[in-house]
Amino acid sequence: MLELSQMNSYYGASHVLRDIDLSVRSGEIVSILGRNGVGKTTLLKSILGLDVRIRGAITLDGEDITARPTYLRARAGIGYVPQGRELIPDFSVRDNILMGCYARTDRRRLVPDLVRDMFPYLRDNLGRRAGLLSGGQQQQLAIARALASEPRILLLDEPTEGIQPNIVEQIEDTIQRLNKQVGLTIVLVEQNVKFARAASQHFCIIERGAIAASGVIDALTDDIVRRHMTV
Amino acid sequence: MADVFFIGLSLSSILLLVALGLAITYGTMGVINMAHGELVMIGAYVTVLCQTHFGLHFLLCIPVAFVVTGAVGYAIERFVVRRLYGRLLDTLLATWALAIIIQQAIRLEFGAAFAGLHIDGLGPGLQNVPIPSFFRETFLVGDFVVQPYRTFIIVLTIGLFILTWWLIFHTSFGMQLRAVSRNRGIASCCGIDDKRINAWTFAYGSALAGAAGVMLAGFKTVSPSMGTPFVIDGFLVVVMGGVGSLFGTLGSAVILGEVQGWVASLLNDVLARAIVFGVIIVVIIIRPQGLFSRRGR
Repeated sequence: MLELSQMNSYYGASHVLRDIDLSVRSGEIVSILGRNGVGKTTLLKSILGLDVRIRGAITLDGEDITARPTYLRARAGIGYVPQGRELIPDFSVRDNILMGCYARTDRRRLVPDLVRDMFPYLRDNLGRRAGLLSGGQQQQLAIARALASEPRILLLDEPTEGIQPNIVEQIEDTIQRLNKQVGLTIVLVEQNVKFARAASQHFCIIERGAIAASGVIDALTDDIVRRHMTV
Repeated sequence: MADVFFIGLSLSSILLLVALGLAITYGTMGVINMAHGELVMIGAYVTVLCQTHFGLHFLLCIPVAFVVTGAVGYAIERFVVRRLYGRLLDTLLATWALAIIIQQAIRLEFGAAFAGLHIDGLGPGLQNVPIPSFFRETFLVGDFVVQPYRTFIIVLTIGLFILTWWLIFHTSFGMQLRAVSRNRGIASCCGIDDKRINAWTFAYGSALAGAAGVMLAGFKTVSPSMGTPFVIDGFLVVVMGGVGSLFGTLGSAVILGEVQGWVASLLNDVLARAIVFGVIIVVIIIRPQGLFSRRGR
């Protein structure tokens, strides 16, 4: 569904990602793993064309999207839940969700039923200012905003980072439901190996801007984790 | 008493009309447009040209100037400002240069002067715009002298303020604009075409300057350099009100216009201007984020 071939990413003059090949099949979760600062977030930003310059090719369902601006990639069906959530704090919950609707193909502006079903708290607090929500609720809202565009593929950047432990499980459950029940294809940047193993079908470890290991999730042995991820 | 207050209010209106455009381009897009005063001037010249060449009614000049300066603003964004986003000082210099170019273009009648041609209404000289007679005849309500033209300016300004407020807070365009101004990156990840939004926002802010220019043409002489002082006044209003706050701009325009009006009537115009600047300095020292702003910048 999503193919990166020989993709290189640059911030100005610095070469951040080198020769990345990645292929994401429809309906699966791929976990992107690695230590801090190796380029995991840059990988997601490259897929979106956000703030980075890229060389190489990105195709979505066989269509080459490498030259497209970010908003057209979003409209092509890429949903994004950024690290740190990046909500608009003085927008209401509703407006934050409606923001995502600009990427819908039918351009309608509504809070989708899927969002109402999955996040009852948001459904009941649509008028609340996003800045007043707790960390976990904000994470739900960031996911809801991405879902409002009815994406074909969802990019999640460390969705459980900085969230209190009892909510983490809830977020992880949401991600698995989106994949299994809704059938969403997901690219997941994670630090938590246990969750990556439980949820995903494939993995990809990045080290110093290049892919150090990748494959089906069963091939993610403790030895590989020790070699590429322990600090 | 009432008429001094009223004159202050009409001064406030002009300030607000000029500042409203800046509040949008500077407040929401973060672009310092030094050519904003020249857009006011273009609005005034559109009035002059429409009247001398086409005999257009003064009131009809407002929509024409609105569209013309909007189009000029769109072109400025498209060809200059767009290439300089995130480079505040470069934008400032480039738009300042544009301001000078626009002024000279009017002085040289877009180059026609070199060929020995003269276009009525252009050139380095001063131009006067006659306003319709029903705007000149004052009438009494009780002991209060109603000046129709000043009243009209105030009403038009209130109308344009409400239009702007509605556009920003109650339309889909406004929501996209607010999203882009808070977080450009995430807005584009939500499918919002940030470049298109910026271009139209800039065009709208410019169009407001054009409308201000028409109103100014009615009671000030029109000249190529008439816009320059307004860009300064406009920025002062926006900064004092709080960058990014529409109602802050409204409040500070009313305060400054009234201060100017009252001091001018009690003492004189020059002193009034000095006191206005004094007020601004004090406000900026005490509240650097502006009078009505919730967040600083």
